[in-house]
This record gives sequence, C-alpha cells and structure tokens, in this order.
Amino acid sequence: MAVVADAGTLYGLLAVGAGLATGLAGIGAGMGEQGIGAAVVGVVAEEPGFLGKGLFLMLLPETLIIFGLAVSLILMFAWTPFSGIVTP
Amino acid sequence: MLRPVKMSRVVVAGSKNVISPVVEKLHELSLLHIVNYNGSQPQFEMGKPIGKAKEYSEDLIKLRSVTRYLELNKKFPDKAYPESQVLSEMDNLLNNVGADVTATYERIVAIDAEVKSKQDQIKSLTPLAVLPLPLESYYGYDSLATFVGTAATPVDADVARVSPVNEIYSGSAKNATFVAVFVPADKAGEVSSVLSEHGFSETSVPRLEGNVDSAIATLEGSIKSLEGEKVPLQKKLADMKKQYEDLMLATDEYLSMQTHKTEAPLRFAETANAFVIDGYVPADQFSRLKSELESAAGGKLEVSLIADNEADELAEKGEDIPTQMDNPSLVKPYELVTRMFAIPEYKEFDPSLLIFVFFPIMFGMILGDIGYGVMSLLTMVLLKKKFRTPGWQQLINVVLISSVWAIIFGIFFGEIFGPLGLWGKVMGQLPEHELEAVKVAGLYFGEGVFGSLGRIGFWPGIDIFPLDRLASNAVLLLIGTSVIIGIIHCSVGSILGIKTELAYGEKKHAYFEKLPVMLIQVFFGLLVLGLVIGQMMLVIASAIVILVAMVMLVMGPEGPMGLAHMPFYVSNLISYLRLLAIGLASVGLAFAANQLAFYVVMPMLSGGATNSAEFTIPAIIAGLVVLLAVHFINFLLGILSPFMHPLRLHYVEMFTKFYSNHGGGVEYSPFGHVRRFLKA
Repeated sequence: MAVVADAGTLYGLLAVGAGLATGLAGIGAGMGEQGIGAAVVGVVAEEPGFLGKGLFLMLLPETLIIFGLAVSLILMFAWTPFSGIVTP
Repeated sequence: MLRPVKMSRVVVAGSKNVISPVVEKLHELSLLHIVNYNGSQPQFEMGKPIGKAKEYSEDLIKLRSVTRYLELNKKFPDKAYPESQVLSEMDNLLNNVGADVTATYERIVAIDAEVKSKQDQIKSLTPLAVLPLPLESYYGYDSLATFVGTAATPVDADVARVSPVNEIYSGSAKNATFVAVFVPADKAGEVSSVLSEHGFSETSVPRLEGNVDSAIATLEGSIKSLEGEKVPLQKKLADMKKQYEDLMLATDEYLSMQTHKTEAPLRFAETANAFVIDGYVPADQFSRLKSELESAAGGKLEVSLIADNEADELAEKGEDIPTQMDNPSLVKPYELVTRMFAIPEYKEFDPSLLIFVFFPIMFGMILGDIGYGVMSLLTMVLLKKKFRTPGWQQLINVVLISSVWAIIFGIFFGEIFGPLGLWGKVMGQLPEHELEAVKVAGLYFGEGVFGSLGRIGFWPGIDIFPLDRLASNAVLLLIGTSVIIGIIHCSVGSILGIKTELAYGEKKHAYFEKLPVMLIQVFFGLLVLGLVIGQMMLVIASAIVILVAMVMLVMGPEGPMGLAHMPFYVSNLISYLRLLAIGLASVGLAFAANQLAFYVVMPMLSGGATNSAEFTIPAIIAGLVVLLAVHFINFLLGILSPFMHPLRLHYVEMFTKFYSNHGGGVEYSPFGHVRRFLKA
C-alpha cells in the first residue's frame, strides 16, 4: 500500500518530531533535576557554602535536554530526506 | 605554570633552649609546611605547648563569646592596628567592654523572654472576656475544681448529671463556645471525663486579678515599656559594635596568632633536650629558610635537606607532598575553579591555565552579546569595590575576564541586547543591494532576521558580517564549532592524562586507557565531518582508527569492560553542543523581548499603528517596561548559565580525563599567618 503525503504534511511531521524530541527530553531532565534540587536545597539550608557545588550538580542531568535539542536541530536543519519535495 | 611549585623535604633539628625564637622566626617567614609528627617513633615524643598557651586560648574563648553577641563577621579590614595598641587595650576590651556587652546582651534576651510570656498571657486572657467573672475567681479554691476552656457542644446538662452541685458560665467566642465549670473537688474526675466527651480543651488562666479587659491593658502597657527599654540597649550594642569592631577583630587575630605559635610544638617531635620539625619548603626558598633559622637560633640548630630519592620513599609511605599552585596573576582567579573541584596532587597538572584559556571563550560564546557583556562588566566592577575578601575578588575576576570575551563574541554575532536590538542603530544597516550581493556570494548568515544584520563600521573595506545565531546556516556552523571546541578541549585533557599516568609510572594506563579515548574522540569527529562533506575515504580511515582504538581499550587495564565507556566518550562530545544551545536559548529570549516590545505591545496599545512615529506615549512606556523586564531576567540567566555550563564541561568532560585519579592533593599551607587587622 502506498502512503501518499504532500510536502507540507511531511514538513509538519518533521517539526512535530523535533518539538517532541526537545520537549520530552526536557521533561526527563526536569524529573532528574527534581530530586537533586530538593537535596541541594536541604544541604544548603545546613551549609550555605555548598550552593556553588549544588548548582553544579543540578546541571548534570541537563545534558539530556541538550541531546534532545541536538536531535531537533538535526531534524530541522541538517537532515533533509525530503529535500527534493519540501519547499518551505 | 601547568605544574605546581617544586618542593624540598627538610628536617629542622635543634636544642630545646632555642625553640621559642625558632618558632617565632618560622611564623614570621611563613615558608615551612609542617608535617605533623604522629608519635610513631619510640625515641621521640610529641612536643608540649610553650609559653602562655593556656592564657591565650582562654582569652580567645572570652573574646569569641563577646564577638558572637555583637554578631561580628569576617570582613575586609578598614584599618590595621599595631600589636602594641592591641596589647595595651586587650585587658580593657576583654574585661570591661566584654562584661558590658555580655550584660547588655543578656538583658535584651531577658526582655525578649518576658515580652513573650506576657504575650502568651494576653493570648489566653482574650477569650475569657466573654465570661462575666473577675480573674481572681478562677483560682485559689480548696474545695472546688475549676475547668476553663472551649467546648464543642453545650455541657450544662451532662455536668449536672454527674455533679448536681455546679456553677457553669458560658459565652461564645470567635468560633467556639467558651465555658467555665466549677464543681466540688471530689467530682473533678467524673466531670473531666464528661467534659472530654464534649470536645473540651482546657486553657490555662493566668493568675491575675480584676477585670479581664483591664488586666490585658496592664499587660500591654508593660510590654510597651519593656520594648521601650530594649530599644536603647540595642542601640548601645550597635554603637559598641561600630566602635570596637576592628579592634576586636584585630585582637582576635593577635590571640589566634599567639595560640598558633605557642601550640606549634604539638606538631614537633621532641626528646629531653632537642626538638625535630619535619616539613616541606619551596625548593628555591630552602637556602633562605636555612640561613634565617640558623641565625635566629645562634648556631644551636641544624636545617638539612632530604635527598630526592629518600623524599620519594616517604611520599610512597603515604606522606602528602603539599601542592602550591604557581600561576601568573592573570590566571590566579581561575585557581578558584580548580580548588572547587579538588587540589591537584603534587605530581599532577594544575589545570588553572587551561581553565583560563577555555573558560572565558566558552562563556563568551554562550553569552555573545555586546549589551549584556558591557552590563556584566560594569556590574562586576561595582561588585569588586563592594566585596573585597579574596574569595569574592577571585570569583568576580573570573566573570570579569569572561565578560570581555562575551563582548568579543557579541561583535561576531552582531548582537547588542539581542537580534533586532541596537546593532543596526549603532553599526548601521547594510543597504538592500549589498544584502543581495552577499546572498549571491553565499556569505549570508542572517536569513529570517534582517534587523540585526549590519557591517562592522569601524573597519571600512573589511567586510565582516555578523553571524546571526538564529539563522539556520549559522546554527549548523555553530554546531560544528562547538564539537570542534569539544574535541580540542577533550584532547588536551587526554594528553595531560597520558603525561600524568607516565609521571606515576603507569604505562599501561597511559597507552591503553587514556590514548585510545583521545583517538576515539578525535576520529569520531573526523568520521562525522567525512559524512557531512561526503568524503568516504576520510570516513573509512577514521572508522579503521576507531576500531584500532577499541582493540587497544580491550587490551587495556579494564579489558573488554573498557568498551562499556564508549557511549560516554561520544556523549562527551555531544555535550559540548550546550555551547550553542544555551546561547540560542538566551538569544531567543532577547529576540522575543525586542519583538514583543516593538512589534506587539507598542503597536497594539497605539491602536494598531504600524509606523514607530505613530506610537503613543503610554504605549511606548508600556513597551519599555516589558522590554526592560524581559531583558533583566535574561541578563540574570545570562550570567548564571554561561558560568555553570562551562564549569560542568571542565569538571565532567575534561577533568575526568586526567585529574585526581589518584585522590586529591594537600594544599601548601606554610606555618605562619597572613596579617589582616594587625600591622607587621
């Protein structure tokens, strides 16, 4: 069975995919940071000098969202499977 | 610079007669990092404190309690005192001033407690106002039991059932019924259980006399007079703090110095007539230490250098050689970043210089805006005057140098407060026909956003076009740049890692653990580059090198498990995309701020005007408020994330390649004191 879609639909799907990649990665990173953030606030209440290290620890899961963003950027700008048919 | 200062292991041995002048001299020189004697050798015992150690520490405790009452904190010294002045005023300070402060402080605490208890009394009296009884009728009975408190439901009938003789008063307060029940003392138990069935909760009645309202008024009056008494006392404390702050801190410093000196022999080894000090001194300072100490002791002392191979043996037995980082003053602030992670071991590299090179570039690449750069530069210059302690100064200098790079990258990116910001107005717009020419030449990096594109006006003839970061070909270019920076950054880390392992004599770790990682990262980059530019030869060659590197990893110390780290090495490189990504987020917000203010808020409030000349005054004001608010938030984020993310790139991606695989080092802290409040 042949799947027929016009260029606009394909481009739209690409954009949806890119959005999902960043958005879902963001949710994941957020869930990771949730626990760390709570722990850091707890430690900082006891020992204010830990703030710098704590902020740094909070950044560790943020790599996840960077991966998501990288996928989005590649989808939107670098990956052109439909370059023949898509004319944005 | 990449290496810590070279240290020499020394032994100082002398007659006990000269221990005081020697300690005094050592403290003054501030050169010798003392290795504490651990009492492991039977012929030596631990030293004992000399001089008035006990008196000094007692005085110090006395002083510290006074400074705690005055809430004195460490601060930058406004003036320095000579030791003689501190000595002459110390007695007065510790006894008279100290006693005065303590008495005042204790009186304030007592007043606070009294006010608190009176407030509690008022709290419990207030609901009693609904009952028609004077206060003295609630207490003082021998044959009567009294219950006063709130009840959820009417209690009269049930109380009358268990105790026919009773007197009950009730009144409704805010949201509960307030009751006072008087029954014969022998019925107290039964009445109490009946009351509890009605949700009774007892209130304690203060033992006062007269009418409730007048009792409350009396209490409020006395609270007011107590607080009136407190105000001048607090002022007195504040005045004393102002008057004695510096002197107290100077005295604290003097006493700390003295206790430090008198207790120093605890770290020495002693026999009946002699003492021995082990320690490290920077190699080029040894002869100075030797001559100064020998002249101070008048010949009754021997300072000798331990040969390198013997010193190495001591280090292998677990003695820590102290690390003194050695960097030019421009790089010094970045030692803070190193220190936050760990002090390098003596044989490791000190990465501060590398942080100095990479960190500001990364910060600049992320922030990359002339407007924000100048703002952060000015903020830091102001903060530098305000926060003068060494730690803050270092941190501020780090951001200061980085801000300069943010301005430089701002010129590359053509951003003054974001795209559509002030760039076009300051630098001038390119005329339409030149834009066309640039597009034809394939040099155009500003599609989609025309407003910020301009020419760098002060170099006529050199056509440098700012790179609009929101344009798609610019994004691709920056992805490439980020990964290339990543490969360079990681490779430098790997090279240092190889050298460190060699310095520890671990050849297998160097060539089969650190080297393959570097090969994998470099050739992974080349492989992707080959795919992008379509050079299959490059792809195949890179793939072969990566395979070889993987085989080397399998042969390495970890065996096949070494391959499990492969995804980590690749994700290391992808992680550098944050250089682009965080920057894009901040550009996006700045762009949104400008767009919102000039193309949404101002036209909308001016009734749909499209030309900026038609904007009404209120519309312009509202637009400016939006503009400033969003830019301010973006600026705060724009300082924090470009600081934290490169920090992470250093700690996680780079340091893991070479740093502190052998555990953290010990910082060189010579026996001595940096005078802050005391004149030398």
